[in-house]
Formats: sequence, C-alpha cells, structure tokens
Amino acid sequence: MRGAIKGVLAEELENSIRMKKSYEGALRKLPKGSLAIRKIRGHEYCYLAERVGGKVKYRYLGKLSAAEKQKHLEAKELRAKYRKLLSKVKKQIRYLKGALRGKESI
Amino acid sequence: MEKNQFDLCLAVLRRLGEQRLLDHFILIGSWALIFYDKYFAGQGYAPSIRTRDIDFLLPLPLKMRESVDIPKLLEDLGFIVDHVGQKGFIRLSHPELIVEFLVPERGRGSDQPYSLPKLKINAQPLRYLDLLALNIITVKHDDILIKVPHPAAFALHKLIIFKRRAKKFKAGKDVEQALMIMDMLIKKRDQEQIIKIFRSLPNAWQKTIANNLIFLERSDVIDLFK
Repeated sequence: MRGAIKGVLAEELENSIRMKKSYEGALRKLPKGSLAIRKIRGHEYCYLAERVGGKVKYRYLGKLSAAEKQKHLEAKELRAKYRKLLSKVKKQIRYLKGALRGKESI
Repeated sequence: MEKNQFDLCLAVLRRLGEQRLLDHFILIGSWALIFYDKYFAGQGYAPSIRTRDIDFLLPLPLKMRESVDIPKLLEDLGFIVDHVGQKGFIRLSHPELIVEFLVPERGRGSDQPYSLPKLKINAQPLRYLDLLALNIITVKHDDILIKVPHPAAFALHKLIIFKRRAKKFKAGKDVEQALMIMDMLIKKRDQEQIIKIFRSLPNAWQKTIANNLIFLERSDVIDLFK
C-alpha cells in the first residue's frame, strides 16, 4: 500500500507537469490583449489594451461586430480561468515534488 | 474526498448527461467505485484511494447519432485538451480531474487511438473492456443517471488485468480494489452475480482469473465457481 501511494503521487506529478505545459500553450494561443470599449458621445469605440514593454497601450480596432466582441470577451474569461488553473497546477507540482522528495516510503 | 473534485465530477457527468452521452458512455475505473455506495448501502462500504483519472468506456459499435464537441462542452469548466504519448491519445485535463475515453480492443488489436470525429475526441483501445460493457447497472445520483459496470464485473475485470500492468503500483491498486469488491459482494450474499458473470466469460478468461486468484491465495473465491 505504501509503495502504491508513492506510485500514485509520481503519476499525479507527471500528469500535473504535462497539464502545466498544456495550460501555458493554451494561454499562448489565446488572442493577446483585452477588449476595451469606450463610449464617446453615444458612440462605441473598441480598443485592444495590450502590454508592450511593460506599458499598457491601446490600439484602435474600429467597429466590431457583436460576434467579434463576444470572441474577445470569451478569450478574456478563458485567459482568467486558465491563469487560475495554471497557478493551481504549479502549487500541485510543488506539493507533489515535496511529498516525493521525502526519504520515508509513503 | 475533496468536495471540489467531486463537484467537478458531477458537473462533467451532468453536461454529458444533458447531451444524452451518458445513455451510451459507461463510467469505469476507480471513479465507478464512488457510485457503488447505494448498491452496498448498509454494508460498511468505503472505496479506496483514487487518482484524478476519470475513465469513460464507449461500447462499440457506438449507437449514437448526436454530434457533440466534447472538448468544447467542457472547455468553460477549465478542461484543456492534452495529447498524451507519441500516439496522441486525447485527455481532457483539469487540475482536479482528467477525463479519458476508452474503447474495447478486439481482434488483433491496435496501439493507435480510435478516432471519434463526431465527438472531437479519440479513445484508447484496451483489452477485456467488453466484460465491463456487457454487465452494467445504472445508478442515480442527483438526478443524473450513470452507467457503471456491475461490481462483480468490475472485480473480475481487475482480476484479469492486474498482471498485465506495466506499473507495479497500478497492479497493487487493481488487486486491492478487486478483492475489496469481491468481499463486499460475498458479504452482501451476491455470489450469484459473480458466478453468472464468470460463467459467461470465454474459457481462456476464466482460466486467467482462476490462476490469478491462486496467485493471490484466494482459493475461497475460486470455490464459488466450482
């Protein structure tokens, strides 16, 4: 049983490391920046806020269709979700590495 | 059991159920053990350790007309598509749960993923899964109807495969789960089901189970089949 737990933990570590890579890859694939909609004199103007060299820059996107706006919003939500889960996976990796480093068999 | 993990498992099952995929999919592996609690109610049943992997068996031929993009269906829960190994088996991963799909391997077999384009996934073919697919029970949890292998089929399947495991700890886990379920079935006086399923198996499979039980020094279980 003790060896079984260590085996399970080792497999979980392997899974978490692979998961970390996948979340990082998925984050890279998501469109960069965040949609910022400004209302000026009753008209909507869409900008893409992105970080360039440590500074946030706004790029004017022109008129966007509802579908395009939705796409940006979905990407934003997914990015937030993936970042949160990536942080969770990193914590798991630290924990599992620590548990497996112990000299006692578990 | 961690509440978040179980809640996520239920969320996955609910989504698959809403798309009528649970009419076809069978929940197998250590997560099936969780849903045997009602079957063994009042018997002091307590399932053992479990990994994050939640396995679904897709019986072949898959009699479903629906096209469902499963990765998309689970995307907003935080699941991400992982391609595992050189063959590219698809897994849907989440820090709390890893969803995998399996199909029964038949004939000469193949080490290639079994493609399921209608579901936008692939599945891993594995031996002996027909034993699980042919002996199922349906359990209800929070209004979700879940198909799981009959506990006797679960135990007999584990008793066949444990010696084929490449990883020793997995074999140990298989044996522990198989014997725990066997003992629960005997305690419940449900030997008839074990015998019925055992006798429905091909002779070679029966022989493997008997030899493996001798190896495990459980001649009391072999005596049931005589």
